[in-house]
Amino acid sequence: MIIFFVLPLLLTVVWSVFERTMFWMEPGFTLFSYENFFFSSRLENFLSSMFHSSISVICAFFIGFPIAIFIRRRVKKVAQHRVMLLFILPFMVSEIIRIFALRPILSRNGVLNSLLMDFNFIDTPISAFVFTPTGVVIGEIVSFLPFMIFSTFLALEAIPNYIFEVCADLGVNRRRMFKDILLPLAAPGLFAGSVFIFVNGIGIALIPTILGGPGSVNAGLIATQAIIALDFPLAMAVSAIMMFTLMGLLYIGHRLFNLTKLLEPIS
Amino acid sequence: MAKTNAIEVKNLVKTYGNVYALKNVDLNIADGEYFVLLGPSGGGKTTLLRSIGGFIRPDSGSVNIKGQNVDDLPPDRRPTSMVFQGFALFPHMNVSQNIGYGLKLKSIDKNVIENKVNKMMDLVGLKGLSNRMPHELSGGQQQRVQLARALILENDVLLLDEPLSALDAQLRKDMCIELKRLQKTVGISFVHVTHNQEEAMSVADRIAIIADGEMVEQGTPKEIYSNPKNKFTAEFIGEKNIFEGRIKDFNKTKVVVDIDNDNIEIANNNYKVEKNQKVSLSIKSESIQIKKMSKTNSKVSNNQIVGKISEITFLGQFVRYLVVLNNNQEIQVRSYEEIVNLKVHDTVSLSWKLEDFLLHQN
Repeated sequence: MIIFFVLPLLLTVVWSVFERTMFWMEPGFTLFSYENFFFSSRLENFLSSMFHSSISVICAFFIGFPIAIFIRRRVKKVAQHRVMLLFILPFMVSEIIRIFALRPILSRNGVLNSLLMDFNFIDTPISAFVFTPTGVVIGEIVSFLPFMIFSTFLALEAIPNYIFEVCADLGVNRRRMFKDILLPLAAPGLFAGSVFIFVNGIGIALIPTILGGPGSVNAGLIATQAIIALDFPLAMAVSAIMMFTLMGLLYIGHRLFNLTKLLEPIS
Repeated sequence: MAKTNAIEVKNLVKTYGNVYALKNVDLNIADGEYFVLLGPSGGGKTTLLRSIGGFIRPDSGSVNIKGQNVDDLPPDRRPTSMVFQGFALFPHMNVSQNIGYGLKLKSIDKNVIENKVNKMMDLVGLKGLSNRMPHELSGGQQQRVQLARALILENDVLLLDEPLSALDAQLRKDMCIELKRLQKTVGISFVHVTHNQEEAMSVADRIAIIADGEMVEQGTPKEIYSNPKNKFTAEFIGEKNIFEGRIKDFNKTKVVVDIDNDNIEIANNNYKVEKNQKVSLSIKSESIQIKKMSKTNSKVSNNQIVGKISEITFLGQFVRYLVVLNNNQEIQVRSYEEIVNLKVHDTVSLSWKLEDFLLHQN
């Protein structure tokens, strides 16, 4: 734990306050990197990537949670895990290829636009699907949706069947079932899935690189660019900021939902 | 006793693949009756209960509750509430939220719900626990919450599916007394499924024995215990000394049964039998007199069997002798005082009163 987890994190923070040299860095204490981050367009980019990630999280919730509910409630018990396996299949393909494959689908004369035009939903192709923040959000949803489905399914699977029988006996309707039973009982899973998507949304540089336009830069991309520019302390500072954001989120989540509960049914 | 029927089940059939879970079951349960469905696991009693509650749709037959046909109604629209096996509470709601949830669904005024929940908690003995979460309750308390959650809806029938199976033996005994008291207080019909005959005897007004999807026998606990009409019932309630044989002869007072060429005479308790019919006899282990055979009294009469003691066990209140007969059948004899001169391998004679033997249809 300490070697693989705590030490790298500590080093990230320590290196982030080192002084930059031409090709590397030297020990020292300066907050220049943090200044460089907070007083430039980088902060704006970081905040907007948080905003876009939040949209991805919300979309993933509205798409993923119903899928998880459907699998838990309507698919036969023996088939449930096989259906879940289907959602792992895309991960057999390299992430770069998976995201790159979205380009011909989303582009101006891509598959999505031609389908929409064939069915007369639109007259002229929409060019905002790719090389825009929208493109990034779509990319994030496509890449990370399975994680929302997994984590919420795991939480729903832990709900014993008798709960649904009691509901049938008391006459719980769909809306009530969702609000009073499924949502609170799946909350830890929802939170875990949301944090995962959010953190990857601001951290993975690949998606904005391939699908994003000029305005869509996330923290991962800032760090990557900093490394390319040989500004290692800045890259470290960005990583440290991301790390603290994540720790804050997890702390809130732990206080609200007691995340350890989520892992109970597995053991 | 012109009681109306709370539940009328007619000709209920349910199959899973080509296995019958219920074969033409008929059942009437009176208003305000504590009715127990007793039988071995997999015998169909839970299927029957669930068909009454609406959780299972039978293949054919009908269920009437309070004179109303409920075949097409879902569980929540039937005048029944269910107490489930195990601890079926909403884990994220506290005790009073669990109990009041059914009323909340009916959008009843908050204060009314609170009042009713408090009354119900007093009734089932949960006073002062309203803010506890389910995982902070003992097994018995969790089942009380389930009872309260079901009873608060004031339905005509309470269905209990093995409600005490997850509790330990002592707690189960206490809960039996509680359940009986509760049923008398609220006055509605309880239908209780169990495989535990002691539990059934202690709560039931009437018991139905169900096995292999069929209604084997119905009666009061006393009838079932002291005079089971059916061999299966006798075995199920724990009779150990069962003999198979044929009717050799009978008149108004006596029946003679041929068991492996030994004749056993029993009192005729209005049995409906025919000559050569296959029947079983049983006798309670405490009704048999055991005596050492001496060479001088070796005459064997009709009401006597000879055997050898194979085991003597001291069991606190009584001593149990296992006696092996000439045909290798093993008989249990229970004696409340130890008979001093009996040892293992002794040859003994077993005798009984005519009326102690019971005759069962196979």
